Amino acid sequence: MEKKRFIQRYPSFCIFAVLAVLLVLVAVFAPQLSRGVNPIKGSLKESIMPPSAEHPFGTDKMGRDIFVRVLYGARTSLSSTFILVAVVFVIGSFLGILAGYFGGWVDAVIMRVADMMIAFPGLVLAIAVAGILGASTRNAIIAIAVVTWPKYARLARSLVMKIRNTDFVAAATVTGSSTPYMLWKYMLPNTVTTLVITAATDVGGMMMELAALSFLGFGAQPPTPEWGSMLNEGRNFMQSAPWLMIYPGLAIFVTVVIFNMLGDGLRDILDPRSGEGR
Amino acid sequence: MKKRMTALLVTLLLVMTVFAASPAYAEEKVLTFGCQMYSDGLVNPASQINCAWNCMRYGISESLFKFNDNMEIEPWLAESYEVNEDSTVWTIKLREGVKFSNGTDMTASKVKESLDSVREQGPNGSSTPEKYLAFEATVEADDAANTVTITLPKPDYNLLGNLAYPVMAIINVAETTDFDHEVIGTGPYMVQDHADLVGYTMVKNPNYWGGEVPYDKVEIIFMGDASAKANALMAGQVDLVENITNVADLQRLQDDANYTVDIASGVRCGFSWINFKGVLANDTLRKAIVMAIDNDTICASNTIGGLYTAGFSVLPSTLAYGYENLENPYAYDPDAAAAMLDEAGIVDSDGDGVRELDGQPIMLRYSSYENRLLNDFSDAHTMYLAELGIGINPAYGSSDDCWNDLVSFNYDFDNNNWTTVGNGDPTEYMANWYGKSKSNYCGYQNDEYDALYEKFLETADAAERANLLQQMQQILVNDAVVIVDGYYNSSMAYSKNVGYAHIHTADYYWLTTEIVPAA
Repeated sequence: MEKKRFIQRYPSFCIFAVLAVLLVLVAVFAPQLSRGVNPIKGSLKESIMPPSAEHPFGTDKMGRDIFVRVLYGARTSLSSTFILVAVVFVIGSFLGILAGYFGGWVDAVIMRVADMMIAFPGLVLAIAVAGILGASTRNAIIAIAVVTWPKYARLARSLVMKIRNTDFVAAATVTGSSTPYMLWKYMLPNTVTTLVITAATDVGGMMMELAALSFLGFGAQPPTPEWGSMLNEGRNFMQSAPWLMIYPGLAIFVTVVIFNMLGDGLRDILDPRSGEGR
Repeated sequence: MKKRMTALLVTLLLVMTVFAASPAYAEEKVLTFGCQMYSDGLVNPASQINCAWNCMRYGISESLFKFNDNMEIEPWLAESYEVNEDSTVWTIKLREGVKFSNGTDMTASKVKESLDSVREQGPNGSSTPEKYLAFEATVEADDAANTVTITLPKPDYNLLGNLAYPVMAIINVAETTDFDHEVIGTGPYMVQDHADLVGYTMVKNPNYWGGEVPYDKVEIIFMGDASAKANALMAGQVDLVENITNVADLQRLQDDANYTVDIASGVRCGFSWINFKGVLANDTLRKAIVMAIDNDTICASNTIGGLYTAGFSVLPSTLAYGYENLENPYAYDPDAAAAMLDEAGIVDSDGDGVRELDGQPIMLRYSSYENRLLNDFSDAHTMYLAELGIGINPAYGSSDDCWNDLVSFNYDFDNNNWTTVGNGDPTEYMANWYGKSKSNYCGYQNDEYDALYEKFLETADAAERANLLQQMQQILVNDAVVIVDGYYNSSMAYSKNVGYAHIHTADYYWLTTEIVPAA
């Protein structure tokens, strides 16, 4: 009964949650769904073939099955996006809470570094960082993390500062709570909801940024199936062999929409300021 | 009312003027040419090699000799030549009646002036004219006999080829005022106007020595992107484009009856350097690798299209250096390649799909960059090598990254596309594998090759030189020194507005009088 009420109350969240789970399942079961076809192995004799019964999405420049590569691409794209979001969430929140709680020079140092990072256009700085580190998925994650953590740090800091001088915090201090206990028991719980909402709505954006870096050649390296780099591979064939771009492009589009909508749904549920929140 | 009448009259007059003038415009033959911009489109032969190429490509300059499509040397501004026995004194008879585009006669003194000037200015730029004509060489002009005599400090058996190189083009040094944009040459077209980084407006050279110039005006428009060039051609914005380096677009034009695509077997060779200072010093491994790659299938695929001709030697098969007599002991045979490695004990003992050598999995660094389909070749090689059980770490970057990897030996494979006989002779190119050469970027050392190369440097006879080159090529093939991608083909494509156009093997001849309007 409770479940039914929940679904009725948050239909959008429920639909997109199911879709997101489906996407994750696609990534997990890619080998089974692709019937054992290797995404890296192709035959140049079959390169750039249009969609057919044998290759539902056609083949790419190396004669690899695009359907299989799109399936496996979900693994690369989803896992790297989740890792990225987790990294910026943890680092950003941690530094933000420290800055907000301690204030003074700790705050000044952390926040000035953060200010420096956001003084540059995000993707441009990420390209520079990825360019210096060298092209790979790991470095692309690092590059975007470097430019994204300040967002979480600033958010966490402001949330902490809001409660830092409240009576219950003062009471906790007076009763002898240790600093780690204070951070863990009072500061973190009061910031985590907002941060989780931010992270959830960020998944789509982060995925786009990773795809953008891969598209520009700074992310996943060939022959790894990755949607952004697949787009880049097909770029020259946009007119003569559009299937090279359409399917990875569609995959990015669908995934980003699902995670954006899921993030919105989650905000409706968790955000105490939205009318229906609990 | 009166005002309105006046306005109407003025408008009528204007319209009539336009109509009256239009027949003259209709008769003017104009060619619009979309091409890549190199070195900002500057045309001073002494400043950069690309600029020297530009000057010749735009139809401004010509040289004493030129290459035909078999890269054989033919006289151009010269008529004939004589040479002494040890190839140190060359007397070149100039063609009669040649004028620069400003009307000045191209006399022997003017030729001397040009050849001296480019070498004097050489140190200020990067054209390295001394590579084509030594600083110490003297040029004497005899205006009465219409000859120039070049005396060299040491023999140069390829002097004519060197003089054909665009850096050595003959220009009117004394009367040129704007060397960057308006060099005065003897070519069929001359610069009327230019817009920085946008293009040139060329007009016919009224004093051209080689007969009627087919176009009154040529608009050169710089276009960097191959697809943009193809689209501009198909949209009617340009009549002629060069080097569509994108197979998809090239095929689109080839399939359309409204366009003609001319493809020349070029003198560029795409090949992956193999680093002999790394794990690939192992002979068996290297040979098995070369044997595991199906070069013919790669070049024939939709991905590479007609842009490369397959081959297994470092010198293109179209050149007269005995390609047809070469034997390839490592023709594609994946089973034999695998058996070779198994026999040598290079096997995958831990079952991870990658073979091990001396206990280490064979993971090779592949440096490559996106130009002339090099990354596609690298991807294809990676795929074939995965079949053989060889792992690849791709290190794709810019051309600079690839170059830096090459010169610092930070690679196992380094994919490049190089001109083999830019000045009609592969001396410099073949030095890449000569043990004592500075440009030996792979650490290859073979005494037999070195001896042949040294002999080659001292040989004047063309047939003997070709024979030596053939032997040198065979050694490189036998030692599996490179993975050959293929021989890169240049292209030109044109619409129905153009009657005929042709891209030459030596791709510094673009705007020539061969390009004519449709009848």
